[in-house]
Amino acid sequence: MNRPRAVCMGILVVISFLLSGPAAARIVVDEAGRRVAVPDEPQRIVSLAPSVTEILFALGLGERVVGVTEFSNHPAEAASKPKVGSFVRLNAERILDLKPDLAVGTVDGNRLDLVRLLEDAGVAVYAVNPQSVDGMIRTVAGLGAACGVPARGDALSRDLRSRLSRVAERTRGSKRPRVFLQINTRPIMSVNRNTLHHDVIRLAGGENLTADHAIPYPRVSLEEILNRGPDVILISSMERGGAFEAARQAWFQWNTIPAVRTGRVHLIDSDLIDRASPRVIQGLEAMADLLHPRQEGPGERLNVEVRGDGER
Amino acid sequence: MEVEEIETIQSTEKARITTPGRVIMVTTGMCALLGAVMAGAMVMGTADLSLADILGSLTNHSGGADSAGLILFRIRLPRILLAAVAGFSLSLGGVVFQAILRNPLADPFILGVSSGAAFGAVIGIILGLGFSLGIPLAAFAGTLLTLGILMALGRRRMGTESATILLTGVIINAFFTALIMFFITTTTDSRLHSMLFWLYGDLAQTRYAHLAVCAPLVAVGGAVLFAFSRDLNLLTAGEEASRQLGVNVERTKIVCLVTVSLLVGLVVAFSGLIGFVGLIVPHLARMTFGADHRILIPAGALGGAVFLVAADTLARTVISPSELPVGVITAFLGAPFFLYLLKTRGSRWTRS
Repeated sequence: MNRPRAVCMGILVVISFLLSGPAAARIVVDEAGRRVAVPDEPQRIVSLAPSVTEILFALGLGERVVGVTEFSNHPAEAASKPKVGSFVRLNAERILDLKPDLAVGTVDGNRLDLVRLLEDAGVAVYAVNPQSVDGMIRTVAGLGAACGVPARGDALSRDLRSRLSRVAERTRGSKRPRVFLQINTRPIMSVNRNTLHHDVIRLAGGENLTADHAIPYPRVSLEEILNRGPDVILISSMERGGAFEAARQAWFQWNTIPAVRTGRVHLIDSDLIDRASPRVIQGLEAMADLLHPRQEGPGERLNVEVRGDGER
Repeated sequence: MEVEEIETIQSTEKARITTPGRVIMVTTGMCALLGAVMAGAMVMGTADLSLADILGSLTNHSGGADSAGLILFRIRLPRILLAAVAGFSLSLGGVVFQAILRNPLADPFILGVSSGAAFGAVIGIILGLGFSLGIPLAAFAGTLLTLGILMALGRRRMGTESATILLTGVIINAFFTALIMFFITTTTDSRLHSMLFWLYGDLAQTRYAHLAVCAPLVAVGGAVLFAFSRDLNLLTAGEEASRQLGVNVERTKIVCLVTVSLLVGLVVAFSGLIGFVGLIVPHLARMTFGADHRILIPAGALGGAVFLVAADTLARTVISPSELPVGVITAFLGAPFFLYLLKTRGSRWTRS
């Protein structure tokens, strides 16, 4: 090959190399320990879980979100974004069709083969893994940094922490009521210590009645509840409709339970306590109000916003 | 009272004489066993109630309204009673189906009654019906739907072609199972739990109102089927032979199929799907008491009650304080034990 040709080839190779590379990117380590090449300022973000959607919007990145899962129902703006399938069954075609530069998913829920598929197609995939309230706050900061808005991430996480410590202040020194959190009516199911719900109960100043079960979401027998006698029963709203109020009424026949005798059977919005998003602090505050009613008024009942799913 | 000698046709052992006395003796013995198992189940559970607690609750002034009383009489007892009624019904259904279809693998679910009921329950759950009335009604409606499909086969076929009936049952099962899978994959989390729980059977949160509906009807059904014992005995000799011996084969089959389907549908509506009871207990009873249905029907039915009460007690104590679905326990208990018995004694079916 003669010299001018070689130089042309060389220039072509370099140009194609430059054109094919991604926009300016940095390597970050996500919460699954993976090294991900994230664009400096991701402009087209797909959320692979409802909790992630909430965090992204809370970080002010709403405009840059181009796709969300089916049950990403909060905030209202998220509901109008294109849907990429549900949390358990993501539609890879739909995701790739939206040409995202970043997809954010969860370690627990999203399948590894989908992650690989997206990465092979050139989409950066950042996995979060908040296992506790504290973990969620760290996720907020981490995701903020990964998406190029570290200042907002830090500000939000500071705000969430200060709200958390105000709740701790309020409930410090008070006796912890025994709480039975019912997440399903039939069968009766609750949560053990390895769950986000347990963390919320604990931070709200309560003691989870079923912490010691071996399974994270065990079926619980009425016998045990009658025997252990919780001081407060919280029913987590899981679906639409009056069946929920019926669940609350169903407790009133067991009048040897302290919670029933004192009328402390409350409903609580499940989206506020089972999603690892900033709203869990709101759920925590509401629960703290239920568990440790302020002196000025009777224990408040949280208004139930009924939702059509129990997704996290 | 005349003493009739019936030689069990399939057995090559010496003839067992079935007298009314023997029937009564076996029935009474099984009832006593059931009573003992039920009493045992009453004292076992997550809440550790000592005998003193129980006696105290029975004799104190609160009339069972204290915590121990509530546990015993509002939680455990209705549940134990439903387990007994359900086990009775399922095993009875198994005995009769195995005779009518002349098939050792027949269980009361083989004709698709169970999947029809499950389909009804799944639809009921999706519609948000309540578990104390709506879901049982929906499940029973599913049963009637299945029965309707079977009856559409026609009286003649139902009366004579066992293979056709069985195949129809297989298709019904497959169809409804596919529908159920569809709904399971497209439903929300919490409803999913309810559906899966129903599909594995659960006797928790039983009310006396449910028993008031179930128990009398199951008793009536049992009496009806017992009346066919002689006919069922003769049916095992083959349809032609039994027709010549005076059995109205068509009528016997149809009445028995419909009665068992209704009984099973009724019970499944309240307890969900509990497998293995209707398959294994009839064989156990046959191995123990022989193939004469005048003894086999009461013995098998009561044996089913004993089995399910025991299984349910295990389901609610084995990983205490959490509970397991009872269908898991019946499979775990039933299958290995049954294999062991088959190995040591063989099935009566193989001995003819």
